[in-house]
Amino acid sequence: MPIRNILVALAGSGASFITFKYALYISKLLNAKLFAIYVIDEKTLTDLLKANVFVQKEVEEYKKDLENQGNSFLERVKNLSQQKDVDCRAVLLKGSVHDEILNFAEKESIDLIIIGELKELFSRKDIFYQPEERILRDAKCPVIIVKNQDLVERLFKEI
Amino acid sequence: MKISDYLKEEFCIMELKSQTKEDTIREMVEILNKTGKIKDIDKFIKDILDRESLGSTGIGHNVAIPHARTDAVSGFLISFGKSIKGIDFKSLDGEPVNLVFLMGTNPSDLNLYLRMLAELSKCLMDNSFRKALFLANKPEEIISLFKKFEGV
Repeated sequence: MPIRNILVALAGSGASFITFKYALYISKLLNAKLFAIYVIDEKTLTDLLKANVFVQKEVEEYKKDLENQGNSFLERVKNLSQQKDVDCRAVLLKGSVHDEILNFAEKESIDLIIIGELKELFSRKDIFYQPEERILRDAKCPVIIVKNQDLVERLFKEI
Repeated sequence: MKISDYLKEEFCIMELKSQTKEDTIREMVEILNKTGKIKDIDKFIKDILDRESLGSTGIGHNVAIPHARTDAVSGFLISFGKSIKGIDFKSLDGEPVNLVFLMGTNPSDLNLYLRMLAELSKCLMDNSFRKALFLANKPEEIISLFKKFEGV
């Protein structure tokens, strides 16, 4: 079965940029459409509001800041995909990170999900809290975990 | 990413000298000055107090988490302070505060900050964990309690 649609899940960090470069490489190689997804973690904001750590006004301010950061990150990845001539749609979503990624993957008939390196698990409960872990376990399509920054940079230069 | 990755022994005050909310915040910010990550200490304190003016961060159960995202710091910072007598934080449940966690972040580290606040709030929901923090006498006990709770 050909891989036509690839989703890369991004968190806005430097490591996310490496993940994106690898996704560009694979998309170019397979001539697939790439969906770059950045999710604003509204669930954590809501949880902090419920725990009385945040007040409503603060939540709104954080949402705005996170949205600005997300848009600016997606702008950078769009520019990069144009440079490499890859068909890439950058999408900003809001909600629970793993739910949004998995729902989007299903809706857009994604054939492959690419995520960054998994964080170290300190306890079994981390499996339920870390978005990458949940994407890996619950996705209905294959998932690639990007590792080795030097290798990614080398591959990226080849395209 | 865990609280125990960021909370260090030298940033734990086992008996706060301060008796008011404002003094406590100042005392706990000052101890973080040795990180070298505070660019403007007065602004950092002001930003935390401004946040308090929106509503107390005394979240109940004798706990307060004063915090601010501010360009007065670089990176992410956290300190811990304990008061046996208790401090009036104008908490939601009206009870005095014995355990204070002060946090600050540069706006560029917002995602990390939110995860840390969520992690801390999760830890502090546990009654026995709060009790153990209150009974601890040394900074190393605080760190070790977090490591144990976080499964490190």
